[in-house]
Amino acid sequence: MEHAAEMTSGKIFDIRRFSTHDGHGIRTNIFLKGCPLACRWCQNPEGIAFQTHLVYFRNKCIRCGLCARNSLYGASAFENRTRIKLGRDQIEDCEACIDVCPAGALSLDCQVMTINEVVTEVMKDRRFFKYNGGVTLSGGEPLFQHEFALQLLMDLKQAGLHTAIESSLQTSPAILEQAAGMLDLIYADFKIFDTELHKRHTGVSNARIKENLKWLLTGNTQAEVIVRTPLIPEYTAFDDNIRSISSFISAIRPDVKYELLNYNPLAQAKYYHVEQKFCFDRNPRMYSDEEMTHFHTIALDAGITNLIK
Amino acid sequence: MNRTLAGLKKPERVETLKKKMLDEKRYVSIEQARIITDTYKRHPDRSAIVKRALSLKNALLHLSIDTHNEELIVGNRSRGVRQGIVFPESGTSWIDREFESLPTRPQDKFQVRQEDIEMFRQDIRPYWKSRSLEDVIRERYGSEIDEIALVVKINQKDHAQGHICPNTEKWLKLGPEGIKQEASARLAVCEGESREFYESVILVMEGAQEFMLRYHRLILEKLESESDPAIRQDMRATADNCRNLSQRPAESFHEAVQSLWFLFAILHLESNASSFSPGRMDQYLYPYFKKDLERGTIDEQRALEIIECLWLKFNQIVYLRNSHSAKFFAGFPIGFNIAVGGQTPDGKDATNELSFILLKAQEHLLLPQPNLSVRLHTNTPEELLKESIRVVSLGSGMPQFFNDESVIPAMTRLGISQEDANNYAIVGCVELTTPGNNLGWSDAAMFNLNKVLELTLNNGKCLITGKALAPDLGNIETYESFEQLEAAFAKQIHYFIGKMIAACEAVEKAHIDTLPSPFLSSVIDNCVELGKDVTAGGAKYNFSGIQMIQIANLADSLAAIKKLVFDEKRITSGELLRALRANFAGHEVTRAMLLNRAPKYGNDIVWVDELGAKWARTFNECLSHYRNYRGGLYHTGMYTVSAHIPMGENVGASPDGRYSREPLADGGMSPVYGRDLNGPTAVLNSVSRLDNHLTSNGGLLNMKFLPEFFKTESGINKFSQFLRTFVDLEIPHIQFNVLKKEDLIAAKASPEDYRGLTVRVAGYTAYFTELADELQNEIIARTSYGEI
Repeated sequence: MEHAAEMTSGKIFDIRRFSTHDGHGIRTNIFLKGCPLACRWCQNPEGIAFQTHLVYFRNKCIRCGLCARNSLYGASAFENRTRIKLGRDQIEDCEACIDVCPAGALSLDCQVMTINEVVTEVMKDRRFFKYNGGVTLSGGEPLFQHEFALQLLMDLKQAGLHTAIESSLQTSPAILEQAAGMLDLIYADFKIFDTELHKRHTGVSNARIKENLKWLLTGNTQAEVIVRTPLIPEYTAFDDNIRSISSFISAIRPDVKYELLNYNPLAQAKYYHVEQKFCFDRNPRMYSDEEMTHFHTIALDAGITNLIK
Repeated sequence: MNRTLAGLKKPERVETLKKKMLDEKRYVSIEQARIITDTYKRHPDRSAIVKRALSLKNALLHLSIDTHNEELIVGNRSRGVRQGIVFPESGTSWIDREFESLPTRPQDKFQVRQEDIEMFRQDIRPYWKSRSLEDVIRERYGSEIDEIALVVKINQKDHAQGHICPNTEKWLKLGPEGIKQEASARLAVCEGESREFYESVILVMEGAQEFMLRYHRLILEKLESESDPAIRQDMRATADNCRNLSQRPAESFHEAVQSLWFLFAILHLESNASSFSPGRMDQYLYPYFKKDLERGTIDEQRALEIIECLWLKFNQIVYLRNSHSAKFFAGFPIGFNIAVGGQTPDGKDATNELSFILLKAQEHLLLPQPNLSVRLHTNTPEELLKESIRVVSLGSGMPQFFNDESVIPAMTRLGISQEDANNYAIVGCVELTTPGNNLGWSDAAMFNLNKVLELTLNNGKCLITGKALAPDLGNIETYESFEQLEAAFAKQIHYFIGKMIAACEAVEKAHIDTLPSPFLSSVIDNCVELGKDVTAGGAKYNFSGIQMIQIANLADSLAAIKKLVFDEKRITSGELLRALRANFAGHEVTRAMLLNRAPKYGNDIVWVDELGAKWARTFNECLSHYRNYRGGLYHTGMYTVSAHIPMGENVGASPDGRYSREPLADGGMSPVYGRDLNGPTAVLNSVSRLDNHLTSNGGLLNMKFLPEFFKTESGINKFSQFLRTFVDLEIPHIQFNVLKKEDLIAAKASPEDYRGLTVRVAGYTAYFTELADELQNEIIARTSYGEI
């Protein structure tokens, strides 16, 4: 039987080398496709759906029409659709029109890769990881493709790399436990405290997330845990929410590490490519230093002692 | 860095002097040209070296001089600052042709005085016709040089050879009096040709002594009308320094820095060449600094002030080039190159307090000179690395970084001793040298590999003019395999290397005949010992450096041909040839395919990077069979300064999808801008596939970063890790452009040139050019480095 690393494959929608913002040192970020949540402000909307799509980049297209002459999908892309959902049996057919495009204006929104292929890609930068760096699994929700993710983590660990994950924690306790055993750093997203609001804006209840968070914060893992709340105007960035999250997690663990991520207006750029409406008609600005200090004060007042700024 | 150094302040006087300097207009000056011409006319029977020595001595005695009362370091090669010096020994023909256009030419403008033009045409130009270096080369070898000009640019045809790092340590220890005595002692026991050499050294040292005394007297004169007691005190000290240095070696730090500047001003007076490099200042000045610190005569702040006064001096000498050359070397890169940090000759870390003071001076002044370099190695202290990064983040592109782990082995492979290699310095922009003992002739020629590929693909004919420039070995349609094409390419390279070597020899010979340089020779090891001028091969080391232009385009072109024409057959060879000949007009699909469907150098794709490395190796190997006129080795470098633009103008449409006459990749080892899509780590991996020895003459890697990256301590930490890996990967050089607002505005306007420019977007990094308008504006607004 072939080794699992050659057999198991997953859908990856991006691999970013020289990622320097999430985790220590210089890192390679692997973005796994598919997410049980559908946050209305999602920064990586192309990562939510597990299905593969054909994407058309109009700014690259030289209007030669070769794709339209080669496949139905090409024709339909050429007619200015930017994103076409593909069934499992349609992908192969679609690859012909992608291949024929001289400008690289057509592509799938993810690639299917084996564990080995991903590890090979990651290892290209191993010499940069020497000084503290490593790999970060991101998404989507990286544990959505849990079989693939767990096997990948195991192989990355075996290669001696520092491993981190950015997770919504919307997963089963068993999967989380297995993953945590192979992780050095866990970024746990806690977006909205109120269960009803959480459901309304992300599509799921946060009951499981709270339980998983409790488990993580009560000494069940060796991994460093950092809880994070993305500050999304109207959705997450209001005093009550920050206060409730802060009290909740500091009650579980007084020295919990907590980080508030400033709103980043640049995500809007991606919504054009996924043909979805962004959650804001008028894109808000980033929070100023003063506004950030305001949120920080709320967190500190609610019991956080280990605030990451 | 210790606390004292962290608290160093910007000296006020330097701001005053900087403003005065930048307010002064840049003129062409013929004053020295008149002195030189008069001297030559008065001594028609003397040999070239004595004529040169007498000319320099007369210039040192008679050129008008000036000082500012606030200056702690005095001296210049002309009365005004930043003057374009007409230097007749090296060339007058081009000045005759271009004099009137100097104020209006597109690059490096100078003001001219009408009476100077007249005097030049009447008294100077007629004498030098067929006597100057430029005319001698033209008469002896001009047509051969022209014949290969589209492929090989032969340099040093109308100016003296600079790009040399003198033995400043020796100069500080002996001074002009000591060197004069050394030469006199040798003269007393020598016979034959060397007598004139020693006589010449003595003449120029006498000139140097008088030059220093003239400054002493001038400052004392000016002292009469100065009332500020603090300035008066400094003027007295500066005047004393000048007098002392004319009689004895430097003792204090202030004297040592003044002495250093006299050395470089006089070197420029002798040769008017590009780049005399101070090299490892933090090493040879350190004993003076330490002694003064210990005896309490200076503190760090005073040392910084003295250094910053010297930094201003480095900006007061610019170099007048002809308009063609100004395109290749735009913006007066005069090349006062200073190498900070690195290792001692016995291989230990060499960082000291002066290393930090030199960086601090750069941080305060942010002027084009000196060209500041930091030498990194495995054991470089973290503080030096971080301090360097902080200075880089200010956006001047300096310091640039050199890698001992790559450079030192490349040098020892050339036969340089381990000690000398450990002590390496940089001349010009990125050219490597050993200090004080090496005529590296590092800019002998630039060899356009992409033009040779063009001729290989098109029957030896130029795609732009249709003219036959090389033997007809076939074209892309007649080669049956990629290997056949490669064989033809190798043959064409050999053909042009042979022609280039002959031209280089002719140029070197002309330098020996017309531009012996006794002053320079006195501070280059072995010249005085052998009684032999540096141009004639008196130096301990004698190299010639050839630049390979440009590996990125070459690798991209060859990869596209291999993959799309021969392996996958997606483009027929006929179609490719027609597309290139038509500059892609009507062949847009073919061009898109070449651009997008073939992998590019700089993306960590082994076979593509290896294609580039392989041809660099082939070229280097072929060169290694030749010896230069001084008996030294030829070796290779990969850098262009600004030459990727004019050299691109010579190349027709290329198989990498580049349009005819468009610029080639910048830098030398860098990928074509916009084609490196896998980020900076992939670029470093790609570049690391070029062996160390391919860039023993110097390599250049350019990278661009947004200023945001440097705003946090964590960003600086990661940058330092990036540079540590750069050291591990044994890449010889890297420099960083911190992008300014204007760059982003340009990227918005011409996205195709900036495809690789990435910005951080939320949880990922995105290509700037793919962001929506509004978001691009947002990032532009956030990037506030436009003011610098």
